[in-house]
Amino acid sequence: MSMRETVGPATEELVAEAKESQRDRFRRRAVWLGDHMRREWQIYLMLLPVLIWFVVFLYKPMYGLQIAFKDYSIFRGVAGSPWIGFEHFQTLFGNDQFLRAIKNTFIISSLSLLVGFPVPIILALMFNEIRNERYKRTAQTIVYLPHFISLVIIAGIVISVFSPSTGVINLALQKLGFEPIYFLTRPEWFRPIFIGTGIWQEAGFQSIVYLAAIAGVNPSLYESAVVDGASRWQMMWKITLPSILPTIIIMLIIRIGNLLEVGFELIILLYQPATYQTGDVINSFIYRQGLQGAQYDLAAAAGLFNAVVAFILVMAANTISRRVSKTSLW
Amino acid sequence: MSGVNLNRIVKNYGSLEVVHGIDLQVNPQEFVVLVGPSGCGKSTTLRMIAGLEEITSGTLSIGDRVVNRVAPKDRDVAMVFQNYALYPHLNVADNIAFGLRIRRVPKQEIAQSVEEVAKILGLTEYLDRKPSDLSGGQRQRVAMGRAIVRHPKVFLFDEPLSNLDAKLRTQMRSEIKRLHKRLGVTSIYVTHDQVEAMTLADRIVVMRDGRIEQIGAPMDLFNNPVNTFVAGFIGSPPMNQFEAEIAAEDGGMVAITQNARIRLPAAKELLGHSGRRIIVGIRPEHTSVKPVEGATAIPVELDLVETLGSEALLHTTVGDTPFVVKTETGGRTDHLQSVETVYVMPRDIKIFDLESGRILQSQLTEMAA
Repeated sequence: MSMRETVGPATEELVAEAKESQRDRFRRRAVWLGDHMRREWQIYLMLLPVLIWFVVFLYKPMYGLQIAFKDYSIFRGVAGSPWIGFEHFQTLFGNDQFLRAIKNTFIISSLSLLVGFPVPIILALMFNEIRNERYKRTAQTIVYLPHFISLVIIAGIVISVFSPSTGVINLALQKLGFEPIYFLTRPEWFRPIFIGTGIWQEAGFQSIVYLAAIAGVNPSLYESAVVDGASRWQMMWKITLPSILPTIIIMLIIRIGNLLEVGFELIILLYQPATYQTGDVINSFIYRQGLQGAQYDLAAAAGLFNAVVAFILVMAANTISRRVSKTSLW
Repeated sequence: MSGVNLNRIVKNYGSLEVVHGIDLQVNPQEFVVLVGPSGCGKSTTLRMIAGLEEITSGTLSIGDRVVNRVAPKDRDVAMVFQNYALYPHLNVADNIAFGLRIRRVPKQEIAQSVEEVAKILGLTEYLDRKPSDLSGGQRQRVAMGRAIVRHPKVFLFDEPLSNLDAKLRTQMRSEIKRLHKRLGVTSIYVTHDQVEAMTLADRIVVMRDGRIEQIGAPMDLFNNPVNTFVAGFIGSPPMNQFEAEIAAEDGGMVAITQNARIRLPAAKELLGHSGRRIIVGIRPEHTSVKPVEGATAIPVELDLVETLGSEALLHTTVGDTPFVVKTETGGRTDHLQSVETVYVMPRDIKIFDLESGRILQSQLTEMAA
């Protein structure tokens, strides 16, 4: 006992003290937040619409996710339908079409990540090197434009461009002495066309983020490099790219998080039973099963699976990035 | 070592001319400081020498070579920037080595040079650190290391110390001075801080509105400013300047202000010009609170005593005009609280033309003291 007195306070006392200090910290933080909200209420008011949007469109629908584990019927409602555990998941993983959709999703996503991710970066770097302002603005407008065109029209353009009878591509092939190709009915052509269309539509617009990052690079870094004797190519590699690397990494994490989110709108506008083999992805599968086949519970299970995998992917990407490059989303 | 020669250098931005044909000869191994208020064209001039700004007209030579159309990298100059311009993604060693890597210097040679420079600048233990992990002074040293490592013909400094706090600035100032002594490289240094200019320069170039007002050694500028601008810019606190009227008195000339008659050194152009209005300039250092033989007594009204330790600044007024007196304290200031008169030797008084602000003593005839 006397030993303990000389050593210091007992463990229990220390624990109690630590707990008390933590409670104290929370209390202080709560008071601070309260004060802050009273003082800066206008800012919190501006935040409100976004919070409401999140609650209404993202959090409230989560309530409906439970039908993934229920034998759902519209007449009994979400709460009234009986629980059936993981039955829908078993059905899904026993379904060849679903497994094929997972495989297609990964292939299409990975390919578009691999091919499509660098394109806006390259575009931004190239725009940055254009010195003639008018030429630069014109070029930027041309590559931004497809982003603002409705997907239905994009699909229409793709269909007419690749049309076997009147499409420019086939006309050109015929001129060169080749047979016309029925691009949109050939499974091997679906992925390249889909990925290419996505890049054409979005790369320009996505390059804005990188252009903004490039604009933030300290101009004296370039001046210093010029005096040191760096060429424009060297400056691009040794200054611009490393300087925008944190932005690139953030965009990559977001992209990996969305790896399973293949835009199904363009898929369902472009695919047909002949190209399901390479073009049917999880989202288009959910659309067909859930909306067209009215199997809401099965579709919800597929959607939940999709969301869980996406969540794991984004967590993993963020953690790896934080460890490797000290850049992360949170 | 090469000198730098600026011959009628003009810089236009569109139709706006910002540097109006300046001439400057920087000798090999010389340390020249361009000093002046913001917007006087000093940085633009330096950037033209570096090749970062095009020269509108005039000739710029480094050594024997005209470099107007030569790319910055081929001018063999190195520049230290105000905000250091360090690459945030590279560590200290790589930052220092950047210029050499660009020039494809062999790896072993780079390593050796970096090590040598780091040793000179006391950066050896920081070579692995990123710029964000360094203090302001260390970053500035890395920036200098990047310049030194290339062994350029000319160093260009663009306000390199203005981002540092006062204490560090004083320390880095002496480091730069020492470095220049050691390396002996021709250096052109831009600053708006006249103390930096005075302490560093072999010669100071005072600029205003895109023109050179005066070129000279620091003490030369201090003692013999050519106009009121240089007189006010060089020296801290600046020279006291006030308007006065000339009158003849006792065979000499005096300047009459509201309540003082100040005996002037004789200047030919003043003789027979009684009634002419001039500007009288007196340096705070050239005043005394004790009577001195041959000195003029000027009655002053004391506002405030600013104690600096061994020295004190007395903020007074002569009539309505502020007048600063710098005096030694001798360890106490109580006797300064009752100052009513200060004494100035006529030889320490500068006389400037009221209209042009130019000094009138160029044709001085030494008055029998």
